[in-house]
Amino acid sequence: MLQRLSSGLARGEEIAAAALAAAVTCLILTNIAFRVLGSPLYWVSELAIYAMIWMTFLIAGAVFKRRQGVAVTLLSDLLPRTGRKLVGLWVDAMVLLFAVLLVWLCWRWYQPLTLAQMGFDTGAFQGQTFNFIYAENTSTLGIKKFWVWLIVPWFALSLSLHGLANLWQSVRQWRDPAEEPNTERL
Amino acid sequence: MTIAVFLLLLLGAVPISLVLALTAMWYIQASDNTVLFDSYPQQLFSAIESYGLLAIPLFMLAGELMNEGGLTRRLIALARILVGGFRGGLAYINLVANMMMAAIIGSAASQIAIMSRAMVPAMEQEGYDKPYSAAITAAGGLLSPIIPPSMLFVLFGVMAQVPIAEMFIAGLLPGLLLGASFFIVIALVGLIQQYPKGQWPSRRQAMHDALWGLPALSIPVIIIGGILWGIATPTESAALASLAALLMGRFVYGDLRLGQMPQVLKRTAVNAGLVIMLIAAAGVFGWVVIYEQLPQMAAEWIAALTADPFVFLLMVIGALLLVGMVIDGIAALILVVPILMPIAENQFAISPYQFGVVVCLTLVMGLLTPPVGAGLFIASSMTGAPPLKIFRALLPFLLATLVTLVLLAWLPWLTNGLIQR
Amino acid sequence: ARDFRLGLITPAQHLWSTEAEAFAETLHERSDGEHSVSVFPAQQLGNEAQMVQQLQSGALDMAFLTIAEISNRIPDFGALYAPYLVDDVNHAARLLRSDAAGELLDLMPQGVGLVGVGYGMVGMRQVLSRDPIESADDLQGQRLRITPFEPIRDFYTAAGAAPAPMPLLEVYDALANGQVDAIDMDFDSILILKFYEQAENLLISNHMMFPMVGVVSGRVWRELSDEDRELIDTTMAEHLENVLVGFEEKDAAQEEEIRAMDINIVEADAEFFAEAIAEWEDIWAPKAPMLDTLRAEAERLRE
Ligand code: NA
Ligand code: NA
Repeated sequence: MLQRLSSGLARGEEIAAAALAAAVTCLILTNIAFRVLGSPLYWVSELAIYAMIWMTFLIAGAVFKRRQGVAVTLLSDLLPRTGRKLVGLWVDAMVLLFAVLLVWLCWRWYQPLTLAQMGFDTGAFQGQTFNFIYAENTSTLGIKKFWVWLIVPWFALSLSLHGLANLWQSVRQWRDPAEEPNTERL
Repeated sequence: MTIAVFLLLLLGAVPISLVLALTAMWYIQASDNTVLFDSYPQQLFSAIESYGLLAIPLFMLAGELMNEGGLTRRLIALARILVGGFRGGLAYINLVANMMMAAIIGSAASQIAIMSRAMVPAMEQEGYDKPYSAAITAAGGLLSPIIPPSMLFVLFGVMAQVPIAEMFIAGLLPGLLLGASFFIVIALVGLIQQYPKGQWPSRRQAMHDALWGLPALSIPVIIIGGILWGIATPTESAALASLAALLMGRFVYGDLRLGQMPQVLKRTAVNAGLVIMLIAAAGVFGWVVIYEQLPQMAAEWIAALTADPFVFLLMVIGALLLVGMVIDGIAALILVVPILMPIAENQFAISPYQFGVVVCLTLVMGLLTPPVGAGLFIASSMTGAPPLKIFRALLPFLLATLVTLVLLAWLPWLTNGLIQR
Repeated sequence: ARDFRLGLITPAQHLWSTEAEAFAETLHERSDGEHSVSVFPAQQLGNEAQMVQQLQSGALDMAFLTIAEISNRIPDFGALYAPYLVDDVNHAARLLRSDAAGELLDLMPQGVGLVGVGYGMVGMRQVLSRDPIESADDLQGQRLRITPFEPIRDFYTAAGAAPAPMPLLEVYDALANGQVDAIDMDFDSILILKFYEQAENLLISNHMMFPMVGVVSGRVWRELSDEDRELIDTTMAEHLENVLVGFEEKDAAQEEEIRAMDINIVEADAEFFAEAIAEWEDIWAPKAPMLDTLRAEAERLRE
C-alpha cells in the first residue's frame, strides 16, 4: 500500500516535471517572440523561473525515491554485502530524517494552525507572530508569494512518504538475505 | 564537530545535496542560532530563484534534441571531413569545438552538458575510452567561463566594481593559454595511450556529409547570432536552439519522432533537476557558513602569512581549491570575493583583472573536483561514466590548468596586457 | 552585549557600505565595546527580498534597503518615486529629512515588521540610451531597463516605453548587444560601471529620486532595552545623514565629469514628460495616499 502510493506519486511527479521543462522552454520562446514584436511581456521571466523551481523540487522527490541522487559511493562500494545493505539503510534513514525536519520547518514557516485560529485574518496573524509570509507578493505576477512557495512543503511531504517507503523496503529486505535494496545508479 | 558530521554523511553515500542541507541544519543547531531555522525553507527556494539558472535546463534540452534529432551525428560527420583522418582526430575536434562553444556559452555547467551529449557518444563509437572522452569534454568546459562571454566575470565585475567588458578582455589571453595547454595534454596522452586511428571519408561520402551537415551548423549560428545581434540572452538563445533542433530533427532529418518527446523532457528534468537541487542546497549551506563569518576568518589567516603578491595568489589558489571542492563556482565566488578582494587590492596591490581571472578559474576547477563537483556530475549523468573514473582521466587536464593558474599568478601582464588604462 | 549583523546589496567600496562600516565602529565605541556590528555587503546574505525575510524572522538584525523593496510591500512608499517630486539631489535630501517623509517610516513596523530609522539615497535617475532621445516621442517602443518595482514600471509604461526589469549586473551586456535600447540609471553607476561606453546619449532628466532606508528587525527591536534603542537610533541616523550629504557633495562633480565627456546630452524637465506624469498620478494617487502630503512638503522645501 505504502509502496504503491509512493510509486504512483513518483510517476506523477516525473510527468509534471517533464511538462514543466517543456513549459519553461515555451515561456522563454514566447518572451522572445513578444519582444521581437515590440511588446515585451514583463512577467514571463518570473513565471519561467518558478516553473524551473517547481520542476526541480518535483523531480527531486522522484529522484530520491529511485535512489538516483548523486552521492559519493567510493567507500560503500568497497564494503561486503552486509555493509552495503547497512549503508543503504543509513542513507534511507537520512533521507527520511531530512524530509521530516523539512516538514517541521515548513510548518513553522506557514504556521497554518495559528492562521486558522486567527480566522485567516493575515493582518492580525502577522501582528501577533511577526511572520510576514502571507504578505509577500510576487514581483510581476500579481499573486501572493506563499502560493509559489507551497512547492517546498509539497517536496517535504512527498519526500517523507518516499523516504518512509524506501526505509520500510530496506528493513524488510534486511531480514531477507537473498535480496539487496533495488538501487538504480546513474 | 560539524566537519565530522559533514564527512560522515558524505562518505556514508548520502546524496550530496542532502549532505549540504543536513549539515546546514546541524550547524544552525550547534551554533545555537536557531532563529535561522525560520528562514531555512525559504532560503532553499530563493537560492535557485535566478534567471541565469534557466540556461541549465534549456541547454540540456537543446543537447538532448540535437542528439535525438541526429544533428550532433551530422556535425561530427562534417568535422570528420576536416581532421578525421589524423590519429586522435576526434580528441582534437572535441577541444576545438569546446573553444568555439566557449565563445558562445557563459557557464561551464551548460557547456559540459551540451558538449557531453554531442561528443562523447561519437568518441566512444570510434573506440575512445568513455571516461577519457568525458574528461576531455569536461575539461573543455573550463574554457567557458574564461573565454568571453562569462557569467562568472559578470558577477565578479559587479562585486569588485570592475567594468565587465574589461574583465572579458582580461580573459582572452588566459583562455587561449588554457586551450593551448589542453592541446599539449592531449598530444602527450596520445604518446602514451595510442588513440584510435582516424579514417578519411570517400569523396562521395564527404560531399554527402558536407551537404547534410550544413543545416545542423545553424545551431551554433543561432546561439552566436542570437547573442551578437541582440535578439536573445544566452538563456533565450538556448531556447531558440532547442526549437531549431526540434524542427530540424523532425522535418529536415526525420530522425526525431514526437513520441520520443516525453522521454527527452523527462531526462532534461532529471538531469537539470539534479544540478539545480545541488545549487539550492549549496545556497543554504553557503548562507549558514557566511552567517558565522567562517570565510572572513580564513581570509585574515591567509593575509597574516605573507607579504608577497605571488605567494598570496598561490595561497588563494590553494585555499580556493579546497573551497571549490565543496561549494559550487558561483556560490563560492559570492562568498569569497567581498572578503579577499580588498585584501588583494589594498595589501598586495594586485590588479582586480588578474585577481578576478585567477579566482574565477580556480573556482571553476572546483566544478570538476570531488566530492562536490557539479561539472563532474553533469558529465557523468550525461555520459554514464562514473564520476571518479572521469576525475582520474581529468587529472592531467587539471594539472595543466594548475600550471596555467600559476603562470597567471606569476605574470600579471597575461591578464592586464590587453587592457588599455 | 550583542553582535548585530547588518546586510546590504552594494559592493564594499560603495558609500552605503563604507558608512555601514563607520556606523559599526561608532556603535562599538559609544557602547564602550559592549555591542558590535558585522557588515555583510554585496548581497552576501542574499538579495533585498531575502534580507527582508531574514529581518522579519530576526535572523538578520539590521539592513540598508532601497525603497524599491519596501514600496513593493507598502504602496504608500511609492509616493517617494513620484516623477519630479523633487528637482535635484539637494531637494531630495531636504525632503527625506522632513517630518512628512518620517511619517512614512511609521508605517513600517505594522506593514513589514521592520523599524525604519532614517533615509539615505543615491543620485537622481537619468536615461542613458543608444539612440538620441530628443522628445517624449523618441521613447515610444524603446526597450528600457529598469530596477524591478512598480512605480518606475508604471512611469515608463505611461511614457510609451517597454520597461524591462533587469538586475544591475546584466545591464552592461544587455546594452552592449542591444537587448535593451536604453537604461534608467544614476550618475554614480553610469560612471563606475562605464555604461557610457555602450550608449552615447544621455537624457539628464532628474526624473526621480532613489532613496534608501536604514532598518532594524522588528523582532530584534522588541528585545532591546530603551537605552540600546536610543543609542542605535541616533547612531544609525547620523551615518544615514552622512550618506545623504555624501551624495549631495558628489552629485555636482559627477555631473560635471559626465558633461565633459564626448557624449550627446539632452536635458528634460516635467514638461517633457507631462502626459506620462498625469497618467502616473492617476494610478498612484489612490494607491499612495501620502502623495499629497509629500507634494505639499516638497513644494514648501523648494528654494
Ligand atoms: Na564563455
Ligand atoms: Na568540487
